[in-house]
Amino acid sequence: MIGTLAFLAVLTLRAQTPVPNDARLPQEKELDVVDFQHVKDVLKKDGLMQEVRRKKEEVARIQGLRVEQERARHAWPSEDDFWPLASELWLVKNAPSLKWDFDRPEYGLEETFAQLLRTTGRIGKHFRILALDAPAPAHFNLPWTAQEYCLLFSVPFARTLDLSKTEISLLLLEEVLRADEGWPRELVRPAKLKELAGSNFTGAKPDLTPVFEVGTGLTDFLRDKGYSFQQQFLITKKMDSLLKAHPELWNAYVRLLGKIDRLVKGNPTHASYLKLFPSPEMQIRWLAPEDKPL
Amino acid sequence: MESVKTAVVLFLAAAALAAPKKATVPGGTVYFTALLGHVHQAPSRPSPSLTTIQCGHPLREVSDPKVVVGGEWAHVQVADHRGFVWRRHLSGKRPNCFQARHPKFFDALQLDLAELYYWGRLYDHWEEGEVGP
Repeated sequence: MIGTLAFLAVLTLRAQTPVPNDARLPQEKELDVVDFQHVKDVLKKDGLMQEVRRKKEEVARIQGLRVEQERARHAWPSEDDFWPLASELWLVKNAPSLKWDFDRPEYGLEETFAQLLRTTGRIGKHFRILALDAPAPAHFNLPWTAQEYCLLFSVPFARTLDLSKTEISLLLLEEVLRADEGWPRELVRPAKLKELAGSNFTGAKPDLTPVFEVGTGLTDFLRDKGYSFQQQFLITKKMDSLLKAHPELWNAYVRLLGKIDRLVKGNPTHASYLKLFPSPEMQIRWLAPEDKPL
Repeated sequence: MESVKTAVVLFLAAAALAAPKKATVPGGTVYFTALLGHVHQAPSRPSPSLTTIQCGHPLREVSDPKVVVGGEWAHVQVADHRGFVWRRHLSGKRPNCFQARHPKFFDALQLDLAELYYWGRLYDHWEEGEVGP
């Protein structure tokens, strides 16, 4: 017991005794002269700490931006972006049957059509027209944006009927009225589109089914479904009220429907017209003034 | 003398207003604005394609005294190709392209070469217009 106490006392004494200067390491000597508190104060005064904090914040901001940018790259298009893309893809995939890639003269239809749209008060609207070398569809509109119409017309159909620019423009005006009603856009609208438009698919593959559904929908609509009598009635009545103020256009429209009626009844190449647009004969009747007793 | 000066200034101002607006300057960089398109061998719609380009592709407009181009077409250089592009598809400013806004979506369409070619041709065929007042 006494021996243990003596050993502890010796240890304590040794710990308190300073190490001789020449036995100390150079690093130990350096610590004596470095006043850490002073260094800290200098750093604070120099603004280095703030600089470090600012840099950290900048890095965090850039990293945040990068994440945001990467997320934006995975955005599903909005409806305004989606419809033109889906319609164009349908045109591209059906190029061999629609035959729009053909050598043709400049028809100069845009001016006549723009004039007709101006006459009917559609100022500020944009349109694009594509001529087809296929007999069907004779005329059609593709789902596009609210500010722009995308219109198709068949050159063989126009040539067979020897249609003037005004007559082709009248057919395209029908299409404009259909587009305003949301046809065929709402008739081929994919079920999932509302949910997907404007969404984000980060970390997954984009769901492209709506793009292909629009294509299938348009093909089926043109081949099998077509417009109903009720829809045709509505469009014919709208054309009637639009053109009534311009008798020369109204007469041209009635004459045009007569020409189409005779063609589709007599020429089997254009018989499919009736499947899509029933029926020119009925349209003429709907346009006829009502017999009111005096 | 003063009235002559005024007349000259008015004439120049009227000429500047009447001159067709060009979005591009020969020698400068211009950007392709359609989704897809072609650089044509000659300034005409059916002319063969030298290469297919995408929206946002930079092109250099060249002026060659031996080449006469109508107002609708621009003579451009793209990489090693010198050809013609519809002027309506060019802009001096970088356009806000679909491919740039939705790159992953566009890539996922996995368009093959024939589809890219036809999509470019589609933009050769559109007749575009606007209903002005």
